Amino acid sequence: MTHFRTVKPLPVLQEMLQPRKSGMFEDLAFWLGYITNGKHLTWYASFQFTIYAALLGGALAVVFGLTGATLKNSRFFVLRLVGSTYSSIVRGVPDVLFFLFFPLAFEQGVEWLVSTQVCSPEAIAAQTAPWPPCREANWFLGTTEYLLLASVSLGLVYGAFATNVIHGAMRAVPAGQLEAARAYGMSTTQVLWRVHIRQMWVYALPGLSNVWMLIVKATSLLSLLQIADIVLWADRLGAPNFLPTVGLVHDDWRWRYYLVLFVFYILVTWLSERAFEYLMRRTGRGILSEVRT
Amino acid sequence: MEAFFNDLAIMAPAVVFNIYFALASIPLGFVMAVFLALGKASSNPLINALSRGYIYAFRGSPLFIQFFMFYSLALSLNLTVWRPLGISGFVLHPLFMGPLVLVLNTAAYTAEIFYGALRAVPRGAVEAARAYGMSRSQQFRRVVWPNLIRLAWPAYTNEVVFLFHATAIVYFALPVVGPQADLMITAKTLFERDFNAFLHFSVAALYFLAVSLVVFFLFGLVYQRLMRHLPAQPGLRFAPKWLR
Repeated sequence: MTHFRTVKPLPVLQEMLQPRKSGMFEDLAFWLGYITNGKHLTWYASFQFTIYAALLGGALAVVFGLTGATLKNSRFFVLRLVGSTYSSIVRGVPDVLFFLFFPLAFEQGVEWLVSTQVCSPEAIAAQTAPWPPCREANWFLGTTEYLLLASVSLGLVYGAFATNVIHGAMRAVPAGQLEAARAYGMSTTQVLWRVHIRQMWVYALPGLSNVWMLIVKATSLLSLLQIADIVLWADRLGAPNFLPTVGLVHDDWRWRYYLVLFVFYILVTWLSERAFEYLMRRTGRGILSEVRT
Repeated sequence: MEAFFNDLAIMAPAVVFNIYFALASIPLGFVMAVFLALGKASSNPLINALSRGYIYAFRGSPLFIQFFMFYSLALSLNLTVWRPLGISGFVLHPLFMGPLVLVLNTAAYTAEIFYGALRAVPRGAVEAARAYGMSRSQQFRRVVWPNLIRLAWPAYTNEVVFLFHATAIVYFALPVVGPQADLMITAKTLFERDFNAFLHFSVAALYFLAVSLVVFFLFGLVYQRLMRHLPAQPGLRFAPKWLR
């Protein structure tokens, strides 16, 4: 025992061997403080972007899906062609490509439209950069605008998938149901809205649930459109820090933050599955029992 | 028009990277998926739970996050593991990391397809095989597998096309090494030079579409070969109804 006391540890070790003020509780308080500091709170707040984009994108995908399916079912060949071209071209291209392309193209389209009104010939001649046509026509997009555009492009991309799902579901509604509705003297619109689309949901839901899962997973791409979303913040928070003035000194912790996101998305998937099971049970009431799986 | 052909030429070497990522991950992902599907159907509770959990986790989370997670994990192990072994340049290279994560991802999706097909294998065929006195491995090789692959092939074709599309995000998550840029990075660089979104992204999309069509064609040939015991399906006819 005495031998131990006489040995003097290195300064670094000495610091480490200092008795802690109080054990676990202090540690817990420290970590609680760490995960609720300002940067972390911003990270938690940025989950809203992901949620908004998913919800708005999902709603728009259903709208575009219904539109596409209506076009595909149209009486006119040209409209049918438009519907099937939309669904097959967009599905044939990676979602990231369209996701990046649409907001950029929309921005440029608006800038071009503005430039035809506000740009004087002198301003156009003075412009050296390839885009926009003149300085006045420049449209600066903030987070809100990008978020809206991202949602619309999510809706457009996954609307193409929803088009196929809804188109298939419309054809799966038993013809007898529609005939019965017609026999009751319903007009074409009444048959469509009161019987056809009402009964379509139960056939479309399994497919739409898949589309929703794809949308949820695609929301991880928001950071590609300059939105400070959960992925970007995870990257910033986990990046190695060597300056005590900036915050806790730690080495590369990014994988821990990404692990949190990994688990977050799995939880969202699990929750969505439960929600769709509930919806399925609700829409399946009174309809074919074998549809209810 | 000139610019269009220019882009086609510039992106021709870029598409090779996308094709490389897909080709490098398909075979391994296929093999892994077969084992995972069998694991999910296994009656051993441990193997069953592990395969189920794996498939659920990798199907339920975005590939983009998986890329970041595995790459940053590999980075944080760099000083302690890869560097002493002298393989840090190899392990951290996107041409290795990319296919690695793609294999893990596609294995889960493919396993789900195979599991579905496995459950759809006609029960009578398996019972007949058992009645003939086949061993478990014989049953699998002679009866279950041929049925399974025929049932799963159309869905697997789709999965391969999706995998090819997924290669578009590899370089958004992993660092681009020198001139090794894939289609998306090339399109983005060209866009940042002259802001012509319509041209560059369309050309990249054209390449993706073209390769997807080739994949559909090749896998269709394999499907025909798999289905050669059945009478040939009538081919598609183009007979538009202009008004109905």
